[in-house]
Amino acid sequence: MLKKKKYLLGLMLALLSFVLLACGNESASSDKDESNSDDPDTTETADDSNEPFAFTIMANLHTPEVPTETVLEEIEKLTNTKIEIQWVPDNNYEDRLNTAFATNTLPEAVFLKNQSTFIQFRDAIQDGQFWELDPYLDEFENLKKLKENVQDNTRVDGKLYTLYQGRPLSRQGIIYRKDWADNLGLEAPKTVDEFFEMARAFTEDDPNETGTDDTFGITDRNDLIYGAFKTVASWFNTPNNWGEVDGELMPEFMFDEYVQTMDYFKELHSNGYINQDFPVTSKVDQQEFFKNGTAGIYIGSMGDVVSLYNDAVTINPDVELDVHNYVEGPTGEYGIWAIPGYGNLVMFPKSSVETEEDLKKLLGFFDQMMTPEVMNYAYWGIEGVHYEVIEGRALPVDDAALTDREVKPYQAIEVGEPETNGRYEGYFDYEPKAKSEDLFIDNENYLIEDPTVPLYSETFTRDGARLQQIITDATYQYILGQIDLDGFNAAVDNWKSQGGEKIIQEFNESYQN
Amino acid sequence: MIIYDETLFIYLSIKLAFNLVKKWGFAMASIAIPRTKSKKKMTAVDRKKRRSETWRRIKRNKLIYLMILPGVIYFLVFKYLPMYGLIISFQDYKPYLGITGSEWVGFAHFERLFTSPEFWMIFRNTLGLFALQIFIYFPIPIIISLMLNEVRHSLYKRGIQTIIYIPHFMSWVVIVSISFVMLTLDGGIINSLLETFGFEKINFLMSAEWFRPIYIIQVIWREAGWGTIVFLAAITAVDPQLYEAARIDGANRFRQMWHITLPSIRSVIIVLLILKIGNVLELGFEHVYLLLNASNRSVGEIFDTYVYVAGLQQGQFSYSAAVGFFKGIVGLIMVVIANKLAKAFNEEGIY
Amino acid sequence: MSKKATARISVGSKIFDTINYTLLGLMGLVTILPFIHVVGSSFATSAEIASTKFLLFPTKFSLDAYRFIFSTDTIFRALGISVFVTFLGTLWSMFFSVLTAYGLSRRDLVGRRALNFLIVFTMLFNGGMIPTFLVVQQTGLLNSLWALIIPVTINAFNMIILRSFFMNLPQGLEESAKIDGASDFGILFRIVIPVSMPSIATISLFYAVTYWNTYMHAILYLSDSTKWPVQVLLRQIVVLASGFNYDGAAYTDVPPPEVTVKMATIVVATVPVLLVYPFLQKYFAKGALLGSVKG
Repeated sequence: MLKKKKYLLGLMLALLSFVLLACGNESASSDKDESNSDDPDTTETADDSNEPFAFTIMANLHTPEVPTETVLEEIEKLTNTKIEIQWVPDNNYEDRLNTAFATNTLPEAVFLKNQSTFIQFRDAIQDGQFWELDPYLDEFENLKKLKENVQDNTRVDGKLYTLYQGRPLSRQGIIYRKDWADNLGLEAPKTVDEFFEMARAFTEDDPNETGTDDTFGITDRNDLIYGAFKTVASWFNTPNNWGEVDGELMPEFMFDEYVQTMDYFKELHSNGYINQDFPVTSKVDQQEFFKNGTAGIYIGSMGDVVSLYNDAVTINPDVELDVHNYVEGPTGEYGIWAIPGYGNLVMFPKSSVETEEDLKKLLGFFDQMMTPEVMNYAYWGIEGVHYEVIEGRALPVDDAALTDREVKPYQAIEVGEPETNGRYEGYFDYEPKAKSEDLFIDNENYLIEDPTVPLYSETFTRDGARLQQIITDATYQYILGQIDLDGFNAAVDNWKSQGGEKIIQEFNESYQN
Repeated sequence: MIIYDETLFIYLSIKLAFNLVKKWGFAMASIAIPRTKSKKKMTAVDRKKRRSETWRRIKRNKLIYLMILPGVIYFLVFKYLPMYGLIISFQDYKPYLGITGSEWVGFAHFERLFTSPEFWMIFRNTLGLFALQIFIYFPIPIIISLMLNEVRHSLYKRGIQTIIYIPHFMSWVVIVSISFVMLTLDGGIINSLLETFGFEKINFLMSAEWFRPIYIIQVIWREAGWGTIVFLAAITAVDPQLYEAARIDGANRFRQMWHITLPSIRSVIIVLLILKIGNVLELGFEHVYLLLNASNRSVGEIFDTYVYVAGLQQGQFSYSAAVGFFKGIVGLIMVVIANKLAKAFNEEGIY
Repeated sequence: MSKKATARISVGSKIFDTINYTLLGLMGLVTILPFIHVVGSSFATSAEIASTKFLLFPTKFSLDAYRFIFSTDTIFRALGISVFVTFLGTLWSMFFSVLTAYGLSRRDLVGRRALNFLIVFTMLFNGGMIPTFLVVQQTGLLNSLWALIIPVTINAFNMIILRSFFMNLPQGLEESAKIDGASDFGILFRIVIPVSMPSIATISLFYAVTYWNTYMHAILYLSDSTKWPVQVLLRQIVVLASGFNYDGAAYTDVPPPEVTVKMATIVVATVPVLLVYPFLQKYFAKGALLGSVKG
């Protein structure tokens, strides 16, 4: 009895002291942290002996699993580095990024997530938390090649702090059932009226020749931007987020073209030419309608045609798809909205990159990354294992599981784009996909750019996303017929009074300068 | 108008619940359950005179203090130490400036919250969902556990128990996407059925009226089975002799349930109820967020979803902290009231 | 008691049973169908999923999804970590929760109400992600599996329920033990715990499930991705494959995983913890408590 009691007491004390020790360990552990961040310094002194340069990158994980290190080892060998990648699931990237930033635990190279994450860091950038890159880029022959106009979209007060990861300026267009169009004798639509007719015919004229009414025209999802709406709005020549009237910037939804687009959607919806629940349909459900032959038109990134085809063909071997971009609005002009030319950005915090010398080493690494030799590893993997080269383009091997696990995640650390980093473009044996790549380039002739990308509005940064919700909701409600034009205008007034007025004013001030 | 209706509804529901508890309390009195009255006397005691007595009691319980010491240290280190973070509700917090370097703004964030035109809409929505949680969801696990308790076929009982607790392990993402497949206008199962039987299709997903029913049905579906576990554990503590005595008195099974089983798990029910009330503003961010859309935001937007855009996507740490602080205060007030009420009915409460 | 009365009771009883059994059966059916959908889909082909609305039993049985999941050791490692953290964490949490709950259940403890209130308070207010991260960092737990356990040692909710269970025990139990000269620890470990097995099993289950579902802490505290538990993987697959975009602006070229893979991952990550409950059920037998007291 007594023995047991003593044993218990001992156990408790041990646990207790563990907790206390853990707390008292404070200084010890923070020492360790410091020595960690000192690591680059130690390698620096040993620089002459050609020690590999060690550093950490924080990057977005878009795949279920963290990749194996096969590819990374090749990159390390080529660049004489020792890289640790901190993978963070993309869905929780902001949480991790903000926590690391606030606790001074950001690694040497930090990828953001998208444009809005970048805007969020603007304050910190202005405060000098990150290295300015302008003075150094000229020293690096490959980084020098990065596109000026894309870089300008990422400047803060005219200074450059980031390296960008390039994206085609506009991939938007339509993917449709070629076999259905052929059955009905339809050509690819060239005007919004022809497009409307196609949506109607795909719904009402039995395009799949089953004799039953089992199809509809357009499949869309809960996304006004990457779904159908914004692309169709471009056809109507609606500005991209902001447009100019008499030298003054106004938001897109104050333009007539925006209302015309809404009317167009309202008609598509009330006639049943688009899925009735599109404002709540997820991307997967949206694509399912297309794959299983319920819907015949998909508006979005034309590059999706491969994955849509691969799945559709297992259900119906006779499926034929095609892609198309050029659709004229009522004015007889085609336009297509553009992104700022980057998907992600990488920055270098001063808290972890302590000296100019370290910064130069990091930039040196990314400079080497921007050569075809290194970038092909990061993007395509090892030649002969993960991809083959056909006609100067890369074709991934059939084993999707292999490339998913060993290569694809590393695409998250790409810098630049094929034009600047020289990596292979993809080879596509599926003809519509190859066509879509050409149409991306064709789109560049018709771009509608967002004039506010290089501008700054404090109110927009703070309240923009919340205010946008008012407009997004009103747009859906208008299309569904739940509010009329007065209701929509009331929402616009609401937007104005809650801070929109100020955003207009601030953007215009910034625009005049 | 709507505000008035809902406030009235909540008021009446609370009154009804109050009366029920009161009635039940009297029903309880007829059954002898050992209960200490010592607590009441303690509070009435004059402290000065009994100081030595208090010391004696502390000394006598020194081992007990040792027992709770690790727990107390845990709460101090991992819960109270980080609470300095609440300070940022009164600052314009910038991560790179830290708490010491950030600018003080007083109650600006609270002002922004309270003066926001949506504030009352959100407050009303939050209370609405809370009322559903308390008055519709909360009794269900209790009823199910009473029903399960009456099942004498052991295999059937265990089977049902295991099955109904499975949904708890499905994430909201999965549940919401399954619901979509059932409810959508575009070939959803339920609308197809309605159509076959000659009814009009119902726009479940994009209507303000259906938001709350869908919300609470999903909550019940996912959590009700899981919620029975704690009540089933409490029921095991009921003395079988009580049932025998009741049977001899000719009480039927329903009466046994009402007069023996239910009163025996009363204190567990009340503790859980108070905890639930304290969670008044925790209505499942992810769940609500996934259900929200343009057409139901007017009834579905709650505090968590409201600050999500501002807080996470736009890095407004201070504003989200202020909203969290506000939620905490509301929760605290509710817990204190609920606990007082419980004590008024001679219950232990939670503190 | 007259014969008539017994007959009446048994007829009423039978009706009661019939209704009761039927209702519960229906409930079981409603809850299990979506799960069968998940399991069924995990064994189906992608083509069948895309063409069937609410698939329950696949016509063409396929193990592809499982073959895909199990083709690397990632999921085994993640499952192993989850099992380890769940097992160790539950033991660790139960140990401290039982001690604290029992201590605070003693009605004669001076300061008990204040301590209880302090604990309730932590359920309502928290300092936020960043200060908590700093504490975890300062205690040197970062990047260690202990970071998934120690910061959540005691769940106030679970502790309070456990405490109220302890308070419901017959008072006489402790007093008679005290008279016999047992110490507080003796009473706890040799009397209170053995008679509280149903509640201890319940709260253990609660802890086990919380540990099994650990997700956010793993992402925040473990920068070494080889230490991630299975929920990170599951969540990543489910979110990617469900096509729910929490952030409209996110854009990636990587196509989402197959729906079958999503379903199979849900099955693999759920079944282990589902298996725990039937083992605990023996503690929920009626009257277990008093039987053991008397025995």
